Amino acid sequence: MKKISFCFLALLVCAAQAAAQKVPVQEMVLDNGMKVLMVPRKGDPNIAVGWVARVGSVNERPGITGLSHLFEHMMFKGTHAIGTKDINANLQLIKEMDQTRAAIRAEEQTLIRRARLGEIPGSKDPQVRTARHRELIAKFDELTKREKETLVKDEFDRIYTTAGASGMNAGTGNDFTVYFINVPANKLELWFWMESDRLLKPVFREFYSERDVVHEERRLRTDSTPTGKFDEQFESMFWQSSPYGWPVVGWPSDLEGITREEALDYFAVNYAPNNLTACLVGDFEPARATELARKYFGRLPRGPRDPEPVRTQEMPQQAEKRMVAYAETSPQVRVRYHTVADGHRDEFALGILSDILNGRTGRLYKSLVLEKGLANAASAGQDGRKYEGYFELQGTAKPGHTPEEVEQALYKEIEKLQKETVGEQELQKVKNQNAAGDFRRLQSNFALMVQLLLRDSNRGWETINTDPARVQAVTAADLQRVANTYFKPENRTAGIYYTKKIAATEEDPLLAGLDEEEKSQIRQMRGMLGQAKIEQVKAVLTQVTQQGASAPAEKQDFIKVLKKLLEDRLAQLEGRKK
Amino acid sequence: MIKTNQKFFSSFLAIALLALMPLGLIAQQPRRTNATTTAPAVQTKGASQTEIPAHPRELKFADLSYTPPERDKYRHVLSNGAVAYLVEDHDLPLVNVTTLIRTGRYLEPSSKEGVAALSGGQIRAGGTTSKTAEQFDEAADFLAANISSGIGDTQGNANLNCLSKDIDQGLALYFDMLKNPRFQPDRLALAKSQILQQMERRNDDTTTIESREWNRLMRGTDHFSTKQTTKASIEAVTRDDLVAFHKQYYQPGAFVFAVSGDFNTKEMLAKLETSMRAWEASKATISEVPKPSFAPVAGVYTVHKADVNQGRVIVGHTGTTRDNPDSYALSIMNDILGGGGFTSRLMSRIRSDEGLAYSAGSDYGLGVYYPSDFRASFQSKSATTPQAVGIIMEEIARIRTTKVSDEELTTAKNSAIEIFPRFFATAAQIAGTFAQDEYTRRPVDYWSTYRDRIKSVTAEDVQRVAQKYLQPDKLVILVVGNIDDITKSNPDNAQHSLAKIAGSNQIRRIPLPDPLTMIYPQVP
Repeated sequence: MKKISFCFLALLVCAAQAAAQKVPVQEMVLDNGMKVLMVPRKGDPNIAVGWVARVGSVNERPGITGLSHLFEHMMFKGTHAIGTKDINANLQLIKEMDQTRAAIRAEEQTLIRRARLGEIPGSKDPQVRTARHRELIAKFDELTKREKETLVKDEFDRIYTTAGASGMNAGTGNDFTVYFINVPANKLELWFWMESDRLLKPVFREFYSERDVVHEERRLRTDSTPTGKFDEQFESMFWQSSPYGWPVVGWPSDLEGITREEALDYFAVNYAPNNLTACLVGDFEPARATELARKYFGRLPRGPRDPEPVRTQEMPQQAEKRMVAYAETSPQVRVRYHTVADGHRDEFALGILSDILNGRTGRLYKSLVLEKGLANAASAGQDGRKYEGYFELQGTAKPGHTPEEVEQALYKEIEKLQKETVGEQELQKVKNQNAAGDFRRLQSNFALMVQLLLRDSNRGWETINTDPARVQAVTAADLQRVANTYFKPENRTAGIYYTKKIAATEEDPLLAGLDEEEKSQIRQMRGMLGQAKIEQVKAVLTQVTQQGASAPAEKQDFIKVLKKLLEDRLAQLEGRKK
Repeated sequence: MIKTNQKFFSSFLAIALLALMPLGLIAQQPRRTNATTTAPAVQTKGASQTEIPAHPRELKFADLSYTPPERDKYRHVLSNGAVAYLVEDHDLPLVNVTTLIRTGRYLEPSSKEGVAALSGGQIRAGGTTSKTAEQFDEAADFLAANISSGIGDTQGNANLNCLSKDIDQGLALYFDMLKNPRFQPDRLALAKSQILQQMERRNDDTTTIESREWNRLMRGTDHFSTKQTTKASIEAVTRDDLVAFHKQYYQPGAFVFAVSGDFNTKEMLAKLETSMRAWEASKATISEVPKPSFAPVAGVYTVHKADVNQGRVIVGHTGTTRDNPDSYALSIMNDILGGGGFTSRLMSRIRSDEGLAYSAGSDYGLGVYYPSDFRASFQSKSATTPQAVGIIMEEIARIRTTKVSDEELTTAKNSAIEIFPRFFATAAQIAGTFAQDEYTRRPVDYWSTYRDRIKSVTAEDVQRVAQKYLQPDKLVILVVGNIDDITKSNPDNAQHSLAKIAGSNQIRRIPLPDPLTMIYPQVP
């Protein structure tokens, strides 16, 4: 049994010298520009395989936000060979569907314009659609049904599943789109067949119902979570000119408008082999994989032009920005500073700074949570993206304290980092953790495959071997320097989350405006009324009406609610319709 | 809300994933095993010259024979009676030690709900008799050792992951924690404060509400698994309670260890023995996990949450236990119905045909100690929630009345068989799986007979178990969301409604409880 040989350099955790490891990647570049990374590791008979397209939401523009992610969904819909019984009939129907959709879009544009002018309350209400609009929708539904007859549903997935592949999935980020799966060792050729086929001849079937699926994904992750909508707003507020300001899932209006033609244009440039890297980690022979890569990926034609880097850079921030939100969450604060992109020389120091602040023995926990008792949780992190980066601190206020107190305490910690040098022992501790982390990261074939792809999508896979030394080289002086360079008030954006009061009003609008004691009396009364007979309710109602007239002014709201409750119950008992 | 500093995983976790992540996708650690494998024959002969076939069905694959690792090769009984599974793996200089402790939330005294979780957490957070919490944390962090402890429903866990050169110091800290917890009062007070703050947020997230109410509908309010902590119960827990809980249940003779990584088995066994030497511990019998005695009441139940635009739905009823001989056929049946991801019927119809949901699926629960439950679930915008419920009802009916196709059966069975080696993909998985089997007393021949039992499932079996174990008249339907919007008829699709699904039964409304007392207001 052959085994992987990592080169362990000096592993002296307590000395200033730290561990380093080299991941032995075999790299090949095909004639069409596609890169293939191979890390053979003997073990269980399985291979973690994937590829990355160096494109994400940062490469979009207004109008097509969310396209990278929608596109990722479309890549599972099959090819000319997979997913249909009759490709010609299928393509013909797709053409007709696109034409019908274009006509529907024109109708929608009219409605959007009318809504903009206030002629109709909204463009979505089916009531406002013209007769022609309705006809077009009916026609489209009919075409969808006919398309279904030409399909072999989810064949792409079924082929992999039947072959024992597992964990097929994909992900879209701001800077990348990655596709991955685990295949049994004897199914390597199947992976090459499937992936090269969907890169060569994809068919974006069920385009419009998949758009609905993405809408549901947005509802699930953003709209229906306690802080999702506010987090999205915070993100958009933080970035002024950078395309990182829009969400990966896209703005709803763009999602609704994106056409298949736009998706195809996007594919031609961004999914060309010269913009892709594939990676294999696990039980395989590199010679065989090389041969298969040439045979299958080698047939992909180079793209019409090389994708261009993102042009729009973030404008330097001039003044502090602030968001105050009322959300169904614990009171908390987040503070974010513009810093540097992935791989910038200062990023390693910023990473170490976050380690100094984080964890059970980190400064935030020790100071804000244990000593001052202001917060129940606090953390920090540097996020270097491909083109820009930021450093964020976060804290949850302990009951009895406000997010603003936590915010001030976070600034105190920053001030300390700016004025005082971090101690040797403290710095060594986080370097030790980083050194151990360098090994922990390699425990899983799957995780290693994804790391190599994401690194290669940004600065090159080699950084997995070169970054650890740059982390270990950070000095206390570096820490102080970066703290002073980036953590300035005019460079920050703060988000305050107060707890939104909902309580009983959400359950029962009747109780709005009453104080707690009154509310509890009403609830009690309601409970008792459940068993009361008509006569009893009538008697109480009479009593309340009589006595209510002479009650003090501040009790009138309470009397009103009580009367309403009694009247409703009476109506119910008498069988009257409300 | 905040990203961690582990750069790649921070962006990775933030990405919008395409579908329901298959279980443990990120956590899985596919790597070397000591199992016997036969590598596929390398076919180099003119491969690049051969034509690329028009469809993958024309590809030929070498056979892949695989024998699962044998339990007894790794099993050791220590002198105090504890059982240890040791699996060596020298690829990386790391050692991983997991201990399973026979305890759980089910052993909590009533009115002290929360004592198990607090004990589990404070064993790690509260220091040891010889080290304050601060000293312990500093020592572990400087060593870059990850040490954790916790107590769940039916099991306690403690974990150590450290560099192999530090194993002696790591084990010393780890066993000091297990044996001599200090339960430092300020750390306990902090944990209680954190729990109480979280408690206030119980009604914020529809996901939390959905799972809480589902469990209550399935197992009532008397079973330990549905008991809730309250402000009063958390406040009632004292340091003495934690000391007593630890003393009673942390019995080293009943520990099950899973150790994997860069060590020598003989040496590691000696280290474990030494670590537990002279540990005076309780020998009190630990009671069995109780079974629920509640019978769920079929019908439609709703929980109203005003400012969300999606309904979250579970449709289901009581399931069965994993020792049921029909469990293999049930797994295959569920795979075809809704468990098999994109190829399953629910996903195919609700997501890819209709675009009604991002994820939809089903799970046929096979409980270890008591029957788990069958549940089909999805999330869809308010207007289309009833339509998707309708599809679930149709599919439950269809798999009972009509035999599944050969293609569906083959897909489900092949997948289960081909994926089998993944259970033992890494040394940590081998040790972990066997330790878990030991703890839950799974039959020793389970893994060696697994594939044959799956192979023997027929389409008739699938239909038979669907008829026996899917019970349309017993279905409980729970809908959490903006119920006003969900009950309004959908202008684009008026034939679907919750009222129609409920039929002659009334739709029952479950109010949101007071989060600190868990008292539910009366519904008018």
